[in-house]
Amino acid sequence: MEKERNTVLRLEHIQKYYGNEGNITKAVNDIDFSVREGEFLGIMGASGSGKTTLLNCISTIDTVSAGHIYLEDTDITEMKPKELARFRRENLGFIFQDFNLLDTLTISENIAFALAINKTPAEMVEPRVLEMAERLNITDILDKYPYQVSGGQKQRCACARALIHGPKLLLADEPTGALDSHSSQMLLSTMQSIHEQFGATIIMVTHDAFAASYAERILFLRDGEIFTELYRGKDVRGAFFEKILNVLTITGGGQSHVC
Amino acid sequence: MYAKLIFRNAKRSAKDYLIYLVTMTICVMLFYSFLSISSRYYHPDIGAEYNFQILGKGMKLAISAVTLLLLFLICYVNRYMLVRRQKEFAMQAVMGMELRTIGWLFFAETFVMGLFSILAGIFLGVFGSQFITAMLLTSYGQTYRITWTLFPDTVFFTMVFFMMSFVLTGFFQFRAIEKTKVIDMLSADRRNEISLKKSIQMQIVVILFVMMAFWMLLTGIRKMYFYFDSRFALPVHFLFWGNILFPAGTLLWPVVWIGRKRFARKRRGRNGDRRADGNDFPALVSGLLVCALLNAFMAIYTTVMQNRYYLVLGNGALDQLILFVLADLLFSISAVIWLANYFLTAWKEKSPEHRYHNQNLFLWGQITTKLSTTNKTMTLICITLVLAVFLFMAVPVLVGWALGFLEVRAKYDVQIYSDYRLVYEEEELPDDDYAFIADFLTEHGIETEYDCAFQLYLPKREDFHRRVKWDFPEAAISLSDYNSIRKMLGYEAISLGENEFTTQWQTIAGEEERDDFLRTHTVLATDVGELKLSDRYYTDAVGETLYNSYTDVVLVLPDSVCEQLLPVMTNRYITTKGTIAYEEALALEALFDSIYPEEETTEGTVYSIRLSTLQRNETKASMFVLQAVMLYGGVVLMVICLTILSLQQLLDAGHYRYRFRVLRRLGVEEKDIGSLMLKQLGIWFGLPVVVALSAAAVLVSCFIQMVSAQITAYIGFGTLLAQIAMTGSILLALLGCYFISTWILFRQSVGQGTV
Repeated sequence: MEKERNTVLRLEHIQKYYGNEGNITKAVNDIDFSVREGEFLGIMGASGSGKTTLLNCISTIDTVSAGHIYLEDTDITEMKPKELARFRRENLGFIFQDFNLLDTLTISENIAFALAINKTPAEMVEPRVLEMAERLNITDILDKYPYQVSGGQKQRCACARALIHGPKLLLADEPTGALDSHSSQMLLSTMQSIHEQFGATIIMVTHDAFAASYAERILFLRDGEIFTELYRGKDVRGAFFEKILNVLTITGGGQSHVC
Repeated sequence: MYAKLIFRNAKRSAKDYLIYLVTMTICVMLFYSFLSISSRYYHPDIGAEYNFQILGKGMKLAISAVTLLLLFLICYVNRYMLVRRQKEFAMQAVMGMELRTIGWLFFAETFVMGLFSILAGIFLGVFGSQFITAMLLTSYGQTYRITWTLFPDTVFFTMVFFMMSFVLTGFFQFRAIEKTKVIDMLSADRRNEISLKKSIQMQIVVILFVMMAFWMLLTGIRKMYFYFDSRFALPVHFLFWGNILFPAGTLLWPVVWIGRKRFARKRRGRNGDRRADGNDFPALVSGLLVCALLNAFMAIYTTVMQNRYYLVLGNGALDQLILFVLADLLFSISAVIWLANYFLTAWKEKSPEHRYHNQNLFLWGQITTKLSTTNKTMTLICITLVLAVFLFMAVPVLVGWALGFLEVRAKYDVQIYSDYRLVYEEEELPDDDYAFIADFLTEHGIETEYDCAFQLYLPKREDFHRRVKWDFPEAAISLSDYNSIRKMLGYEAISLGENEFTTQWQTIAGEEERDDFLRTHTVLATDVGELKLSDRYYTDAVGETLYNSYTDVVLVLPDSVCEQLLPVMTNRYITTKGTIAYEEALALEALFDSIYPEEETTEGTVYSIRLSTLQRNETKASMFVLQAVMLYGGVVLMVICLTILSLQQLLDAGHYRYRFRVLRRLGVEEKDIGSLMLKQLGIWFGLPVVVALSAAAVLVSCFIQMVSAQITAYIGFGTLLAQIAMTGSILLALLGCYFISTWILFRQSVGQGTV
């Protein structure tokens, strides 16, 4: 298969099995897809469809049972455990459902930490943190600790931390899962602006149709396989949301989330 | 079903709380080891001249008293186990189990673990007691032999003591579980570690210290008023002024601080800046810390100068100075621990290149968060560590002093001496050769090697009425009697030139005192004419009963001179070929007391007897008890501190597991995470140990300064330093063991490679 020029991520025949002989569960079953540079990809599916497992394999937190994952030209499935930490640090940014902020550091320090571990010169750290905080509108809370701010603010801090070192890929696992509707909307708008302003490549796993409607393309997983794919194209977000709901109706998942 | 649950939980808890189990086992082991020698079945062969009974009783009481400290540790660890298991208890409660049942299960589980510790501890204690036996036999001058030490009474006492402790602590845990709400248990691990509420603990410490400084100032002024003399040497001037100025400075600093704060507030008010005052309380504490150190220096300086210049500073001056040093040290420890957080934060703020260097931000966060929430514990740990280190370091000093002193005073098997301080008429002065002693020895078949009865004289008859303590007259001995004593002790005889006299000095006498005396006493006026000082003087240990009260020197005069002087004391020294058995010594003492009853007389000669058998027995027994108790106390305190330090880290593994997982997810390499863990534990263990060692060094050096004369006389500084170095290395080894085991368990708890 000829590689597209602007492809950032390419997955070839990814499989992930759990269990032992005679009792194997296929969490991810022969998945192929690629992500273009600057694309906002959503991955949807019901619980147990394999979407988080797939994201964990892409983020190198988990290993694949078979297949290859290429980030640009690097096959990350062939990397040694020692190289993986460095790879994660330099190329990936994470946003988790439970924020994963360090409770002992202030919001500003949490963001700066991502630069510090990437060995950014000390004098450049604070201006960059401030710049990122301004873009994400969290300058007021920079000196506060995570337990002193709201869930939405924590998640914006997590966004800032994920983006500040300019990763090639931003991975978000149910980023709105722990937020109320208002904070969710704020966060999703932020992610959209990140995508538009920074040209960031984002993969977001969610089972919330509203959250998914912010993506450009959505992969629907069912039983570890890609069931279907949906492009937003020229649609406005409302129309795309409707399309997503329709697909979810067919796949049998997500009804509960839209009722 | 419940029994199964108890054993399964105990098995799992054993894995979780390995360090607790090991600590408890060590405690039981130590308790058993030390207590076993007080058992009535324990009969070590320490020689006929020693009686073992006087040792056992003291040991049992002292060891039990020290062991009460262990109750604190048991309570502490059980409380932590309770906190850690709360979520599990909540799940059991949600499933319908009664809180009462959960409480019983937890109690039974800890009891099972406790029982295991007791059995293991007793087993190891049997081996441990071999070391104590070896220590005992060595101090009694015997060679070590393996001694069977599994005694039913010690086993019973150990089991009862620890089981009672477990039941007592278990009862409180049971009550705690019964009273806790299920919802609080469920959210136990979600509580924030960082406390926003400012602790007033440091404010209280500051107020107490300022009050103490006020007392120091009053004491300084009082001393200046009553004892200062403008003719004193310059260092003494510094002493008196320092004792006023340093406490005054300590009191002045808070005033300056308040003034500065008000001024700053006014200025801000004028400029329309309505921002908060800012927290400059650390400035006050820092200033007071410097003052506390200066005050401690002054107190130590005072003790040194007091010894050097024989200053009179009033009754209880030394006790007061020790109290001041302790107060200064306690404040310094509290302040250093409290300020550590501020200094770390200030360093972090001021140094971006350090702050943003690799994972430093994370490390800083870990340390400052933990320090801010465990300030009080850390301070208490430090103070306890200081006490433990001091106990360890003071043992060689005290034991060396007592044993050295014993060798100096128990020079003869029998020493009889008289004291004329309560005699006011010359006719009442003693005239007895204590012949009944020789009869007693003959009757009991004790062969005499040397026997010397002699008198001590006053060079001038009029000196008989000199009774002021600091102006007490030196006694004199005739040359032939002095040589007889020297012969008894194996020293060479001496001779005097014509019209010459010489001096014999106490071991404790300082060089300065001696030189001063020799310089001012080149000629001695006696009732029969003047004698000139010989070129030589003698410092051989000849026992302390040879000297007159309050003096450190005895004058050796020609026999012909002594014959014409006033004899004021009659002594008799006997050495025997064999040792006098303990029972015989008691009988001889009783005989002496019946002839010269020890009544509270207000007038007349006081006669005393010293038997080396009894002296050795009492000193060695009391020294052994002191040594054992101090070492035991030191080890128990040290184990308590190190266990708490260790558990504080291990029991927070839940928080740490999450934080280190975030680091791994962010791409921090395993190697760096390992180094972070090591640094975190290093600072956590290092801070209290360094602070405690520094404080202990001040305390020990103060103590050594106070007893420096005794150290030089009885132990020697070289030997003492070697002993302190050895004790220090054992302590460091203990610290190392705890550090390494905590590090290993910490790595396991936090989880390696888990993303």
